Amino acid sequence: MTDFTLIRRSLRSRLLSSVLTASLVALSTGLMLTLLSLRDASRRAFDRGSGNIHLILSADSSPLASVLNSVFYTGSPARSFKWAGYQDISKKYPLEFAIPVQQGDSYRGFPILSTLPEFFTQCKPDSAGGWQLAQGVFFKSEFELVLGAAAAKATALKVGDSLFLTHGQSDFNDVSETPESADSKWPTLKQALAQRHSYSKYKVVGILHPTGTSHDRAVFAELNSSWIIHAHEKRRMKDAAITVTRVTDLSEDDRLITALLLRCRTPPGSSESPVLPRVYDELRRNHPAITIAFPAQEVERLFSIVARVDSIFLALASVVLMSSVFSILIALYNSMEQRRRQISILRVLGCSQAHIFGLIVTEAAVIGLAGTLGGILLCVVANRIAAAAMFRQLGLIVSPTLLIEPALAVTISAVLLSGAAGLIPAWMAYRTSIVKNLRPLG
Amino acid sequence: MDRSVPLQVRDLKFRYPDVAAAAPGWTVDVSNLELAAGEQVLLTGASGGGKSTLLYLIAGLLDPAQGRVLVGGSDIHALRGRSRDRHRGRGIGMIFQTFNLLAGFSALENVMAALMFSEIPGAEHDKRARALLEQLEISRPDADPDQLSIGQQQRVAVARAIVCDPVLVLADEPTASLDPAMASAAMTLIQNICEKKGAALLCTSHDPAMSQRFDRKAAIESLGSGH
Repeated sequence: MTDFTLIRRSLRSRLLSSVLTASLVALSTGLMLTLLSLRDASRRAFDRGSGNIHLILSADSSPLASVLNSVFYTGSPARSFKWAGYQDISKKYPLEFAIPVQQGDSYRGFPILSTLPEFFTQCKPDSAGGWQLAQGVFFKSEFELVLGAAAAKATALKVGDSLFLTHGQSDFNDVSETPESADSKWPTLKQALAQRHSYSKYKVVGILHPTGTSHDRAVFAELNSSWIIHAHEKRRMKDAAITVTRVTDLSEDDRLITALLLRCRTPPGSSESPVLPRVYDELRRNHPAITIAFPAQEVERLFSIVARVDSIFLALASVVLMSSVFSILIALYNSMEQRRRQISILRVLGCSQAHIFGLIVTEAAVIGLAGTLGGILLCVVANRIAAAAMFRQLGLIVSPTLLIEPALAVTISAVLLSGAAGLIPAWMAYRTSIVKNLRPLG
Repeated sequence: MDRSVPLQVRDLKFRYPDVAAAAPGWTVDVSNLELAAGEQVLLTGASGGGKSTLLYLIAGLLDPAQGRVLVGGSDIHALRGRSRDRHRGRGIGMIFQTFNLLAGFSALENVMAALMFSEIPGAEHDKRARALLEQLEISRPDADPDQLSIGQQQRVAVARAIVCDPVLVLADEPTASLDPAMASAAMTLIQNICEKKGAALLCTSHDPAMSQRFDRKAAIESLGSGH
């Protein structure tokens, strides 16, 4: 028989009220911790996602759209531009690399990034490290592709498998459900809208290790192939007799890209480039029709917008926490009438007023602690759900984890606030008249 | 704790603040009352005569207007806060008419609750409480008191009062809610266990049948300075 037994029994005697008040604390602390961990995870995902790219050139409407489309695959770039005008860009500016990419196609909803083989040797998904293969090799030839880790897992494709790409961001692509399938007399709307690039199948030659970035859900395809399949369709519209399209058949108009990923020259051992501002200014001057984006700056801008929304959510969570603290106060206050006799008996047995005071404050703090532990559990579950939802809805790969320091701070705050909520009931218990409450009932 | 002098009351006067204006005079006026070690005294008097109040004063649950109460040689009212509560927990056992058992706690836990505030090491609490309940023939120590018969509840209350080996047991109308047969059995139990443990007993009762059980009887009205 300890103080904890007394507290536990007291909580058990008001089980519903105790559970409800603790649940309110759990809800508010869980919400707070989830917001904090999601913000942190998103930040890390966005910071990591732009890798070692300094600048992005695109025909997107804004630099933010450019970064979101080209690096985070949140949508398809609306416009493309000719590669020819930028092919020798590396010679004109002090660049380490200039990698063209083309987006717009997909496979089962996973975005296709068509690019050069150099993409894997020069662009890095993370400033810390390069691409690593889990299986197979990087593509070298036409109609070869490499799967990001998440795309490979979701599609269950293996090295050696073949597939057709779909035009646009359609999640329809299964070969067995093609619009031409004899089994499906009336195609679904999804089937009808899906336009498969049927000219040639692509072969999976490699699967990447997870990078923890949005690239994990991308499918990387060889760039010439993308130009070929699109050019072939255009050529067939003019002449249905054409059955083959080769690289040599491509015109400058066919060689379209949606973005150019640039990295300026940097001093050895540094990722900062002293020439970056100059390159940026010159590019703006020389290519006024093109959108030029600093990924790092755009991510920062994005987060400054998101931070305002975050603050509102955090404020709301704080209000819920305060209301849960008040609910602890009300629950304990209302229970005091029923507990005066018990308190008086304990006093007769030798329990001091200070001890009674401490028991009530501790009981309130225990409700707060139980609620916060529930909140932490809630945060872990919510993080998983939110990460899955962000991947499914936005295509963002975030790995939210419970942040120890905020979790400790929230736990301590919630316990202290809950303990403070117990002060008024504890004072009532402290002042309980023993003699009045020990009189026979009735 | 001096076990040779369980209780000494000297010139004790008390009145409730809220009744002072309406009824002049003292609610409790005891010039001298002493109990020797193991002595058993029946305190009699009319309803509202201040018997229960005297017990609360002795237990240090009320503060007198004047006078002293020495329990086990220590002036309980000279002690403040935690010290007084500790002294009460260790030196005094109280038994009530309605038993005042802790709801939601088993019979065993009710007895152990008294040990929580004693000097007896925690490791011995369970063993000591069980042994006492067994001695008092409580067959289901882990049952809630409301699952026990009235007689058994009374025995649990007695066990709780005596488990810390107090020098003094204060019993406030302990048999008032029992039928005559049970009342007799309960009083026999209280007297026997106090005798066995060497605790002095100060018991209040209206029941005339109880007076034959005590060698020494004191009417509250006769203890005052006017007598």
